[in-house]
Amino acid sequence: MVHALNEAHRVLRPHGLLIDLRPAPAHRRVGLQRGRRWTLIATMKEDLTDDHLANQAVSTAIGRGLFRRELYDRFELKRHVGGLSAFRAWLEDFVLRSGLPSHEWLVDRVAAALARGSTRATVVVRGPLELRVLRKRG
Amino acid sequence: MPIRIDPEQVELRALRPAAPWRGARVLEIGCGDGRLTRRLARLGAQVIAIDPDRAAIRIARKTLPKSYARQVRYAVGTAGRLDLWPAGSFDIVVFAWSL
Repeated sequence: MVHALNEAHRVLRPHGLLIDLRPAPAHRRVGLQRGRRWTLIATMKEDLTDDHLANQAVSTAIGRGLFRRELYDRFELKRHVGGLSAFRAWLEDFVLRSGLPSHEWLVDRVAAALARGSTRATVVVRGPLELRVLRKRG
Repeated sequence: MPIRIDPEQVELRALRPAAPWRGARVLEIGCGDGRLTRRLARLGAQVIAIDPDRAAIRIARKTLPKSYARQVRYAVGTAGRLDLWPAGSFDIVVFAWSL
């Protein structure tokens, strides 16, 4: 991560901007969206180590004088997944890519929630995103 | 129904005031299937977007609207290998969910 930031610093023009946009170190929440209403079903159990390491790498780059902080924003991002089968497919792919333990329990929870009369609802996964804008020094 | 990420476009609303995008030379690192790239192009940026995943780059190329064809170029690549570009090549570098 530090090497990536060094490379980004090199290819930026003097006083250019580095935008770091990524999920905050927080567990995603899964719920059902019906109309404008979203109801929590369960919270995922993710490994947030890489998120914290990325934050450390950014702090290191700032500490070494490569960049200075210009702006920070945090906002909620929604992923409208659809029905149960789409959610299962997305979750399996996510778990595989992230190297997480099985989240089959979460599929069961979503299935149960949909079965409780929420069949017209959409599964929506949400979580906070962080936006950092850093300016290259020199 | 395909998965829709951020149909509310809160990401775009956050990015818009974050930088002077119009005409800026932007390197996007970790573009994946180009979802964010298209949004950066919509903001008026000239984008070179890279990702190590060849399949994702193929999808990104395929789904790029013709109207952005002059603004966006996709390539397979990683943040650790930016030696294709000399120092000072870009106004903005975006780590798109990739740091």
